Formats: sequence, C-alpha cells, structure tokens
Amino acid sequence: MSEERPFQQYICRACGLIYDEAEGDPDSGLAPGTRFEDIPDDWECPLCGVTKADFEPFVPREPVDAVAADASPRRVGAVVVGAGLAGWAAVEALRALDRDLPITLVTACSGDRYHKPELSVALSRGQSADDLVRESGSEAARRLGVQLLPRTFVTGLSPQSRRLRTTRGTLSYTGLVLAMGARPALPAALPEAHCWRVNDLAGWSGLQRALADGPARVAVVGGGMVGCELAEDLARAGHRVSLLDRHAYPLAGLLPEAAGRRLLAAQRALGIAVHPNVAVAGVERNAAGERVVQLADGERLVVDQVVAATGLATEPRLARQAGLDFAGGICVDGRTLATSVPGIFALGDCIAIEGQPCRFIEPLARQAEALAHALLERDHPGYRHAAPVVRLKTRQLPITLSGRPDPDADWVTVSDDAERLEMEQRQGERVLATLSVGAGRRAA
Amino acid sequence: MIEAATANAVRTAPPPAPGLPPGDASSADIVSRVERIAAGPLAEMAGRIDRGHYPLEIMASLGRAGGLGAHLDRRGQRFDQAIGAMAEVSRHCGTTGFLVWAHDVFGLYLEQSGNPALCGDFLERHARGDSFGGTALSNPMKALSGIESLALRARRVPGGYRVSGTLPWVSHIAAGQYCGALAGVEGADGSLSHEIMFVLHCREEVALRQCPAFSGMEGSSTWSITLKDYFVGEDELIADPARPFIARIKAAFILLQTGMAVGVTQGSIDAIREVEPALGHVNQHLDERPDALQAELDELRQRALTLAKTPFEGGRDFLLEVLDARVQGAELALRASQSALLHQGARGYLMSAAPQRRIREAHFVAIVTPAIKHLRWEMARLMREEMPS
Repeated sequence: MSEERPFQQYICRACGLIYDEAEGDPDSGLAPGTRFEDIPDDWECPLCGVTKADFEPFVPREPVDAVAADASPRRVGAVVVGAGLAGWAAVEALRALDRDLPITLVTACSGDRYHKPELSVALSRGQSADDLVRESGSEAARRLGVQLLPRTFVTGLSPQSRRLRTTRGTLSYTGLVLAMGARPALPAALPEAHCWRVNDLAGWSGLQRALADGPARVAVVGGGMVGCELAEDLARAGHRVSLLDRHAYPLAGLLPEAAGRRLLAAQRALGIAVHPNVAVAGVERNAAGERVVQLADGERLVVDQVVAATGLATEPRLARQAGLDFAGGICVDGRTLATSVPGIFALGDCIAIEGQPCRFIEPLARQAEALAHALLERDHPGYRHAAPVVRLKTRQLPITLSGRPDPDADWVTVSDDAERLEMEQRQGERVLATLSVGAGRRAA
Repeated sequence: MIEAATANAVRTAPPPAPGLPPGDASSADIVSRVERIAAGPLAEMAGRIDRGHYPLEIMASLGRAGGLGAHLDRRGQRFDQAIGAMAEVSRHCGTTGFLVWAHDVFGLYLEQSGNPALCGDFLERHARGDSFGGTALSNPMKALSGIESLALRARRVPGGYRVSGTLPWVSHIAAGQYCGALAGVEGADGSLSHEIMFVLHCREEVALRQCPAFSGMEGSSTWSITLKDYFVGEDELIADPARPFIARIKAAFILLQTGMAVGVTQGSIDAIREVEPALGHVNQHLDERPDALQAELDELRQRALTLAKTPFEGGRDFLLEVLDARVQGAELALRASQSALLHQGARGYLMSAAPQRRIREAHFVAIVTPAIKHLRWEMARLMREEMPS
C-alpha cells in the first residue's frame, strides 16, 4: 500500500530545509523516491546537521493575503523639492493645515529665503546677498518644523514605490511637491562659463561680487522682461550697459511696436546702448580677462561681464523619468495642482497649466494653498488660474500689462501723449488686454 | 621594442565544465542559454566561488553561449542582452556576475579603441571567452572625476610609453591574462600632460601580489599590480589621449553594472519566495515583501533596458539617468538582500546559505566603483550650475 502513497515532504524544524521524498538526498546516498521512514536514523540534515528525529511532515500553508504587499510607504510625510518662493509657500501652506505632518524640504540652494523680484533692482540699491536674505534656510526650517536638505539635488523619482532619490539619500513620501523652478535656457552661443544668469540669489550674488570693484562694461543678452529690468538696474548702478536684442525693439514678444519703441527710447535716454536686431554667435574670454561677444554680423563687443537673459525652461528629465505628463512644464490640474501621477503635485515656475508655463510670483500663495488642501485631502474650492498683471520694474518707463494678450491680435491706442501711452486689445465688446506705458495716473 | 608578442601571452581557456549546453553565439536567445548555465553548473558552484574558486570554466562556457559579447557593435550592440545575461549570472552568483561585467567592459575598450591591433583576433577571442581579462579602471574613473589621484604614471619613450606604479586591486586577471589600465603621462618636470589608456598584459615582469582576504567576491581573482617601467607600445594603446575616450564609454561602462544589481536583487526575491510556503504566515510581518520588491525590480529592469538602447548617447541628461539607475539598483540590491535574510531567518544565516552570501554581494554592488557615494558626488557635480569665474 505504502508504495502508492504520494510522495511527501518533511521539514527540518531547525533550519527549514525541506526533504522531498521524490527528490531524495543523493549527496548523502538517498536515492530519489526514498521514503522518509526508510531513511537511516543517523542521517543528518544536509543543511544544518540535525538528525531525522528533528523533521516533521511539511504542510504548505495557504498563501498569505497580499495585504502587506501594498507598495504605499508606511513612513508618511510630505517632501517638497525646491526652496524658492514656490517651495517655501508650499511648506507654509502644508504646515498651516497640519501641525504634525513630517515635511522634508530638498533644495539645490542653501534654502535661504529672499524675495526674487528684488534681484531686478538690488544692484542700483547697492545691496549684497546678505541684505536680500530675509530669513536663513535653517531658521525658517526650525520655525516651520521642517527637515531641510540644502545643496541637495534630486536625481530620480520612482512614483510606484513613492521614493525620491537625491544626492544625499533616498526619501520616501506620501505626498511629493515639485517646486524646482525653471532654469535659464542658454543657447549654445552663450557658454555657462562666460555668462551670468540672474535666476536665483546665488547667480545674482556672483554677478554682484564681480561688479563690486566699480563701474564696468556689461553686455546683457536678451531684451525680454528680465533683460530689460537688469539692463536698467545695471545702468542705474553706474555700469556701461549694452543690451543685445534679436528683435527690433525690447519686449517684442509682449508689447506692440509703439510701446516697445517708447521703451527703447527710454532705455537709450538712460545711457543703455541698445543693439536691436542682433544675434550673438559666441562669447570668449581674451588674454586680458575681458569677455569678447561675437555677433553674427561680424561685429565684436569687448566687455567685462556678460549677462544672459535668454529665457527660462523647465528641465524635463525628472518628469520624463517618472512618467509625469510634460509639455513645456510639468502638466498640472488647474484646480488642485496635481500632476498626472498620484501623490505628486507641482507649483511655480516648473509647471504648465493648459499647456502654458506661468512664471509669476503673484499666483504662488494661492497655488500653494490649493495644493496643500489637495495633498492633505481637505476640502477646498480649488485654485483659479488667471493671467496675472505684469508690472515691469523699469522705473524709467513703468509698464503694466493686464489680461491675456493675443500675440496675433491688433492693439488699439486709447490715449497717447508724451507722458503716457495706453492701449488695449478687444474682441468685440470684450477687452482681452490693457497696456499702460509711462508714468502718471491711469485714466479712469 | 615590443617585448612579447601579445597573442602568445594570452591565457588559453580551460576545457568546458561537464554538462554545459553547446553554445552557438550567433543564434538569438543568448539570455536563455546563459540562464541554463547560471541555474545549472554555476548555481551548484556558487558557494565554492564565494570561498575563492575563480570560475574560468564557467566564464568559458558563458563565452561560448554568446554571453560575453552581446553588447559589442560586431554582435549588434545588444546591451539589453548583455545586461540580461549578467543579471541571470548574478542571480545565482554575484562574483561571477562581476567577472562578466569586467570581461564585458574590457571587450568594450578594445572595440571602441579603433586600434586595428586590438579590434581583430584579440577581441574575437576575448568575446568568445577563449581568453580572459578585466578592467583596472576603478582608480582612473575616480581620478577623472576628481575624487582621488591617478595611481599609474607614464613617460614617453621611443615607440611608446614606460609605465610605473601600483594598483591596489584589479579583478579578473591572472598570469597570462590582461586588463585595461590608465596612466597619467608625466613631462620632464613631473607635471601631467594627459592620460593614456592601454592593454596591460600580465607578463612575467608584472608583479601580481595577493590582496588581503575580502569578505566576499573571493573568487574574482583580484590582485594588486605593481609596474616598474612597463613598456606600452602603439599596438597596446586603447586611447591616447584617454579623457575623450573615457567620456564616450563612461555611461555604457556604468550602465552594464546594473546587470549585477538586477541579478542579486532577483536572487534575493527568489530566496524570499522559496520560504513563503513554510514561513509566509510570519514573514508577512516584515517591512519589505516580495511583490513590492519585484515591482521595484521590474521598474529598474525596464529602465535599464530602455537606457541600453542608446548606450553611447552623449550629454549630461543621459549620463545622469544612467548614474541614477545605477544608484537605484545598488539601493534595491541592499534592501532586497537584507530582506531575503530576514525572510529566511537562521536558514539564510548559515554560512552555506545564499542569502548571507548575497548580503555581501549586494554590498559589493553598492561599493564597487562607482560606489553609491561616488555616484551621488558625480551627479551633484553634473547638476551644479557653472557660473563665470
């Protein structure tokens, strides 16, 4: 009868080795098919050396429910990436809603808090980086109960296991906030080693120190908002400024020609040498330590410093790696600031709402509040995106732009005198955008 | 001036281990042939290799199966297969997985050198596993990233260079074998002008000294090399100057290492599942469970295979992706191997058990150049914005 019994398994109580009658233990002379009861008593467990008496019949257990196999981390907490205005706004909004939430702030910079728009006017005010810091990163972290990881870069993101890899270790999160901003987009003709970029305090501070010895020749490349503001600030600080713009007049992407021409005249009145319609072919350093800006038309400009203001771009690498939808910025839900991947939110310069980046200060606090509610699953009416009012910090010629101008639509002049130009864009009865150029009170 | 004909110095392969499947490197399914070797004779030998056996017989059979050259341009640049093969080997024996990596990157050096003296028969024999050699680039990789200084120094002499210095540990070498090495070229005043990379043949005048015993990877035939006026002729030069060459192959060099991490992790998950029928009722209380680990491993494997499609893609972002995937693999191997030991308990703690061996193998994956700390150091360097000075 025993010959027909199915082969059975026996488990070593000491080490868990399983003796399978079907397989035997050929290494110690037990042929496949050797029944357990036929094993000599002095046989030893091939793994741990105990004897046959320490084995018992093995009955496989029912598979354990995959309850613990849920990949969501048990170490709860929020991780915020980036300690600019957006990152700190997110930290404050989260802390306001939840006193006990563990928050870790990861940032490539020192984490010091400053008001970024001041970078556009601080040179002419004679300020240094220390003057601009309103609260050190470590003080703010202590006050808000945040673990700050300064000078730390985010290298990878695995949303499935909710792990964020950084240059100081891997962090688990329940909610992740991306507020890493955008980086200056440098064309190949503008090498990093020769061109300052003023997109954060560290970049500004380097330029400020380089100019600390007195009036210098500075070339500003790019006639957009940042280029125009910096050119004016540099000129007011006493430097000899050349503004190199590939368009016919400054802010050509934003303003109608009549307005741009006024700004151009104002810049020249301030002593800025504006070079419209030029393209930079390269920048080099000569033997005297000066920078030589080579223009595409063959002209050369010799200066002491070059500032690149050629626009910003959000780095796509992390988003692509983690499978986040990306289109000119990290795509977010316009109400909750949630990205396309659960548990990950984004705000500030790194995002795109309805396909458009939105790199302004004003919406940040509202974005942060909506985001914090969504991350903590609290009720909130949601963020409402609206085009912010743009005010250029060009004191020589203040410019205010409201609404959403259509780059293809015509501007109509509302009033035009020596002091001031007012224009608007209309679609039927509806005003799309209004523009005010110049000093004085706006007409009612 | 060349002192020995290189072909004569190359060690011949030992006879294949018994019971190995016949190999045909031209057919498509390299990984499954490697899998059979790894799960069969290699798995049986893993403990012995851990204690110091240098498994050249396994390496020879892997070579015949096509498992040592899939990544080469002449075999279709299948980095995915090279990584897959290395993973199958590492799943059963991390030491042999490391040997496969060292062997693979040496083949990469030869092929990418463009030196006709290196790309012909020498490379063919190497890729087939008829001769063996590894890589001595641990020190240079760190040196060129600014982490430490170069160990070998070269002087220009008629017809080539004379190289002196000591490399503390070089794996997958032995008398008659070879490795890829790099030396800084010194001018008359002692300053370094540039670097050269060359094939170092372990000829008689090359002193191989035994290293102190390591806690793992003892079967990797790791030696300290001392060179005194070792002559390097034109035919042995892989690159002169070496920096552009290293920059070109760096991502591929590091990407291949993910095969080790994938394999050690998969072996660890296998060990967890192995005891599930007996211990699942208590193991459910452990932090890391096999399904979640497997999901993470699948993600990593997919990522590595995607990167493997363009191993020579230049640029900062591609290198960052490779470095990050390498860290991801090392960290996962550490967690999975620790978890496997916790799951197996005393059974896995036996000196003969695989889980305790894999703990040491996983730590090797985490500390072999580039180690986790080097990878993070390098990524921080790459991500820092450069400003004018």
